[in-house]
Amino acid sequence: MRPEDFFAQLTVDKSAGEKTGFNPYYHTVLSGTENGVISFERENLIDLASNNYLGLACDPRVKEGIERAARTYGASLCGTPIATGYTGEMARLEKTLARFVGLEAALVFPSGYQANAALFSAIAQKQDLILVDHYAHASLIHGAKSTGCKFRPFLHNNMGHLERQLQRASSHRQVFVVTESVFSIEGSIAPIKELAELCDHYNALPVVDDSHGIGVLGTRGHGILEHADLEHFEGIYTASLGKALANAGGMVAGPANLIEYLRYYCPGLVYSTALPPSTIGGVLAVLDIIEKEFHTLSGRMWRNKAMLVDGLCGSGFEIVDSEAPITSIRCESAEQTVALSKLLFQNGIASTPFIPPSVPSHACTVRLIAGAGVSEEDMKRVLEVFQRIAVQERPGTKKSP
Amino acid sequence: MNLQDKILGIIKENVEKSDAVDLESDLRNEIGIDSFEVTMIIDALEVEFGITIDETDFQKVSTASDIVALLKQQYIRDH
Ligand SMILES: Cc1ncc(COP(=O)(O)O)c(C=O)c1O
Repeated sequence: MRPEDFFAQLTVDKSAGEKTGFNPYYHTVLSGTENGVISFERENLIDLASNNYLGLACDPRVKEGIERAARTYGASLCGTPIATGYTGEMARLEKTLARFVGLEAALVFPSGYQANAALFSAIAQKQDLILVDHYAHASLIHGAKSTGCKFRPFLHNNMGHLERQLQRASSHRQVFVVTESVFSIEGSIAPIKELAELCDHYNALPVVDDSHGIGVLGTRGHGILEHADLEHFEGIYTASLGKALANAGGMVAGPANLIEYLRYYCPGLVYSTALPPSTIGGVLAVLDIIEKEFHTLSGRMWRNKAMLVDGLCGSGFEIVDSEAPITSIRCESAEQTVALSKLLFQNGIASTPFIPPSVPSHACTVRLIAGAGVSEEDMKRVLEVFQRIAVQERPGTKKSP
Repeated sequence: MNLQDKILGIIKENVEKSDAVDLESDLRNEIGIDSFEVTMIIDALEVEFGITIDETDFQKVSTASDIVALLKQQYIRDH
């Protein structure tokens, strides 16, 4: 193919946006997500779109942590962790994160995606089998598929289906079982204790991505392992630092010798410029706040979730409820999903529409996350908007039974 | 159990919306199965019948009935 032909065949399906006159993606954001408000193209919107679960992204103490680190170290160490990028603060963050999630050791990656995408190729071999939850995040699938070993999905959170796969897997050198803790689109939570027991029984290794659980689940916000009371998790733990931890970056945690191995042999870590010191300062500040104030912050987050679910119940919207602070509205088509997101936008609410290829066509969804930063008054405003929309036209929704 | 029921059972065991599946439902357009569900179905059929299924054959089928017919014609003729 000639270059111009090659580039010409790269096309984006924007039909849902064109039909509704609204592109819900790549808004130009002109503010931080502060006090539950975010500004898209100069419109101040109630932020039910970001993953700022605890509302800490603009906390003055977090900004101070970021500024202090930047003053000490500058913008970047201009090197990978193995070369010049491994600051004292990064070493401290690794220890703090490991302690936080209750595992022996941890490593910090430039992003959660990169941690998941790089992990498997460093540890899996051709003779291995990777079993992945059907709805696992794209980064886990990318990572698992990049290894060249056998890859098999199992039905979402379905331990019977997983067990049948494990029963047939005895010929493999090592079996990995990969899942998310809180599934990011609908908020379902993996039965991690049962999954870990199955892994134990069949000698498989569990890998859990706690991106939407860290800082959210557990009595102290320490994540899925605390939530499930799994004190001796014999697996691999990963998470993004860009959601409740309100910064950016990723982590992998587990036994010390796994972490030591990855420190030297994981290409996605070794050959990539280290997370900037400012971000590390920010995460350390957030972890400190969580230890002191989780109860209050999570109380606000759960209040908002309860208001949303109570208010939407019986409104005609098909709610996908969950035990996590994620509330989703199921829509019938991509077009209706974007139309609902547009209507919310016009009424001052930012939401996240999920349409194919991000989700299967029967799972089109508008996701709402009302973090701790959203005030009670704004939540009342959100519910008024939904009531108004519900009597008007109920775009993109089916009546609940 | 006859072959048709057995195959239908295997398909139902490997899709998320199993309650909605019958012999004539359009698996992709009605049930909305995705490529992972296709993989799970093929894998389970291969194990059950000791066969190797060519994935391109599967692109042509739309219902459980079609899968029964495909398997009978091309893969498990002696049933
Ligand atoms: C479950 C899950 N894992 C991984 C990631 C990627 O993390 P990051 O944004 O830090 O790259 C995300 C979302 O961004 C996610 O939702």
